[in-house]
Amino acid sequence: MKTNRLLFLAGLAVAATFLPGCTTTNSVENAQPVAQRQMLADKRATTDASLSRRVAVIGVNTADTPAGFLRVQVQIQNTTRSVQSFTYRIEWFDENGMAINLPTNVSIPKTLEGKETSEIVVIAPTQRAKDFRIKFLEPTN
Amino acid sequence: MKKSLLALTLSAAGALLFTGCATKTTYVDPNSSRLVTSVGKIDIQDFAQAADAMTQSLITDQISQDKLHSSMAGEPALMAVSRIQNNTGQQLDTDLLVKKIRVALNRTGKVVTSTTMGLGGPEDPLAADQQKAQEFFNDQKHTRLPDYTLSGKIIEVRDHAGSTRQASYVFQLSLSSASGIAVWEDEKTIIKQGSRASVGF
Repeated sequence: MKTNRLLFLAGLAVAATFLPGCTTTNSVENAQPVAQRQMLADKRATTDASLSRRVAVIGVNTADTPAGFLRVQVQIQNTTRSVQSFTYRIEWFDENGMAINLPTNVSIPKTLEGKETSEIVVIAPTQRAKDFRIKFLEPTN
Repeated sequence: MKKSLLALTLSAAGALLFTGCATKTTYVDPNSSRLVTSVGKIDIQDFAQAADAMTQSLITDQISQDKLHSSMAGEPALMAVSRIQNNTGQQLDTDLLVKKIRVALNRTGKVVTSTTMGLGGPEDPLAADQQKAQEFFNDQKHTRLPDYTLSGKIIEVRDHAGSTRQASYVFQLSLSSASGIAVWEDEKTIIKQGSRASVGF
């Protein structure tokens, strides 16, 4: 009897310690969105299966600005119930597939709450940029 | 036989020990995510992140919408760098932020930066002298004035709760037209937390 009670209290203590860290996100949006997204057929190379299981890429869409700059939007979702952190980096390529290097090409940290969906929106640094690649990495520090 | 085996084992152990104790220095890609992150100061990657965010904002809001106009037809808009105030407790060179933005804007082909006009004098004194000489020989009445000026501030806010230290760095920039109106403004905040005053070596 005493042992059972002790086990029950221990279980409560463990739950109290770990459950507060699992916060998920509720969201509300237009059921019939007005915006029409131009979705892209993307190619994915997954070498970090654990990251792709936790942070999933739902879709990629693009648009051109009036001045001809390419805009890219990547929709991502945290598939777990706890906060997930990762970094991402965008690489741009011109019409010949040559990489466009800039000092602002940097790894950017991002955090998603449990089950949160978010968008990464980027714009090409130059009108010459016609293609892109987005890399996702687990944080190292 | 036993002695030679012992000697060999000791030598191997010694070699392993000294190899492990040797200081290892490696090169790290400045764009990678493996850089040292300090709570007590602005790291090099923080400047790059802030510059990237500001450049993205400027391109999205102004450049890609063709909102920046040049006073000279067929030429990109001319920008001069004004005061970038350092309101942090650190000694830092604001060019760590501004230069990255200038390079990115230059690559858009829509905005160029003056190296002969700026707060504190010309960045390139020789270019300034050459410009004056050219104006004299071409009988030009005045130098082309900048179409826009870039100004801003870097602010530091520190907090702590228990053993958690938090440092927030707020990067604020404004692009003003020749008539003194801010045509673009943005702010990027970078917040770092650590369990104690984490300092990179």
